[in-house]
Amino acid sequence: MDTSEPLAVASDTDVVTARQRARDLARVLGFSTTDQTTIATAASEIARNIVTYAGHGQLWVRALDEGGRQGLVVVARDEGPGIPDVERALADGYSTSGSLGVGLSGSKRLMDDLDIESGAGAGTTVTMRKWLR
Amino acid sequence: MTPPAPQARERARGQQPTDDGASPGRSLREEMDITKETLERRKAWLEFTQGDVERLAQVDTLVSRHADELVEQLYAHINAADGSRDGDAAPTHTKGLLEEYFLGLTKGAYDVEFVEERLRLVGGLRQRFGPDPSWYLGTYNLYLRAVGERIRAAGDELDDPRAVFESVRKVTFLDLGFAFDAYMIERERTIWRQEEELRKLSTPVLQLQDELLLLPIVGFVDTARAQQLTEQLLYAIRERRARVVVIDVTGVGAVDSRVANHIVQTVEAARLMGAAAIVTGLSAEVAQTLVRLGVDLSAVRTVGDLQGGIEEAERLLHADGPSPSLPDGRG
Amino acid sequence: MPILKQGDCLIASVQDALSDEELRALQNDLAEQVGRHRARGVIIDVTVLDVMDSFATRTLQTIVHTTRLRGAEAVIVGIQPEVAFALVQFGLTLEGIPTALDLDGGLALLRLGASRSRSDGHE
Repeated sequence: MDTSEPLAVASDTDVVTARQRARDLARVLGFSTTDQTTIATAASEIARNIVTYAGHGQLWVRALDEGGRQGLVVVARDEGPGIPDVERALADGYSTSGSLGVGLSGSKRLMDDLDIESGAGAGTTVTMRKWLR
Repeated sequence: MTPPAPQARERARGQQPTDDGASPGRSLREEMDITKETLERRKAWLEFTQGDVERLAQVDTLVSRHADELVEQLYAHINAADGSRDGDAAPTHTKGLLEEYFLGLTKGAYDVEFVEERLRLVGGLRQRFGPDPSWYLGTYNLYLRAVGERIRAAGDELDDPRAVFESVRKVTFLDLGFAFDAYMIERERTIWRQEEELRKLSTPVLQLQDELLLLPIVGFVDTARAQQLTEQLLYAIRERRARVVVIDVTGVGAVDSRVANHIVQTVEAARLMGAAAIVTGLSAEVAQTLVRLGVDLSAVRTVGDLQGGIEEAERLLHADGPSPSLPDGRG
Repeated sequence: MPILKQGDCLIASVQDALSDEELRALQNDLAEQVGRHRARGVIIDVTVLDVMDSFATRTLQTIVHTTRLRGAEAVIVGIQPEVAFALVQFGLTLEGIPTALDLDGGLALLRLGASRSRSDGHE
């Protein structure tokens, strides 16, 4: 499986592909089935954000090996309208209203860490990692 | 992927794995609670003063004069003591470690950073020579003897040779104190890791009756263990087709808000699989405290004692009324 | 998506990945069939779903809501352990939606609800 090439995300079929790719790599790396589902859920969420808010973008799923620890990283990038207030988006609570914050704060809880680079009118890059226990 | 300057960068940390993997010296230092204050306290116990720091600088001059000779002495001692090995595969590396460690003792500022560095070096030595500290003590003893000889040989060069050796002894005790703590913590971590493996193998979920499960939780619960238990409970619900589960926390020493939130999550996850959960072993006082701390127990049925909880569970199972898994908790 | 009838209940088994189109179709089909068969209950079986994200959750909530508007109760069955775990970690509890382990459990739940409302006259 070539995980270095990005996946083009522009429709909900692509969202399904994105989460399958994340799950497959997680399985290959040795994550438990529970963690595979967790990772796939977070990947699905940020992939869907791309489609909903930017129309199209790219997603990478890669293995990680840092300082003896192994894990997985998912990167989602788009050139969409961006998130003007990232902190607020992340602080959003447990609602299912469909706002951007729900997916981001939820994904943050699912993964070990989550980074967002964004700004109004400047596109968005979300990077999330999960480490093998 | 470097963003252009005007973009904001936000970093959010989710849950942390229990073994942080940050610089080993630092995380050990935090675990041992070595702060400026605790370090000063240790120095005070040993009556370690600025005078000692100055005298150690003099020792450093003496020791550096024939550093190679000293390292060879230490190295020869180790090789002789360790009869099992055929011969050191990396003598330069080993000598480098010895030099850094033993000669470094007299080069420090004896502040928190110094302690971090000592802990890091001890880690390196432990990796090289194994977990048994007795070789370490033997070599330290030799180092002291060698330094003592050099102080005596220096004669008039030093104002007060006895005081100078006192300083070396004090810093030795300071250093050994930290090294011992490090060895103990490493041993505890090994034991903990072994217990972890054991825990993973055992299945803590018990079947009390048809469709009724009991999950007794005993001991310390951290995030990793809580998730493990939740997973095992959920798999058991599917496998045994349970409709009610009793989660007993009587054996959990301290149910704080973190543990309580894990329990709440477990109850919610069980509900998604159609099983009602009863939590037993939480006294009314503890429950009240948790609520005050912001834990939302509104969706959690709690019963003080296990027996009462099992009776309640049986009632739920066999009632003709509303089903146990209705979301508003009726029944 | 096939919708089966069992007594006065309808059973819809979700195939993998409910897309927007499929959602609309399911919603409409269910609404129409609940009316046509005067169904008292709908079971949505998500056993096959290996991931439920916020979109899937909103989707199911919508279906449950519209089913209730037509006078029938809806139950979700078949949420898998890993999915349940991820849902609660994520923060989605499907509040207000009845759940059961499997089809049998779902049918039992619906029947209990039905018999209760028949016996005491109100839901």
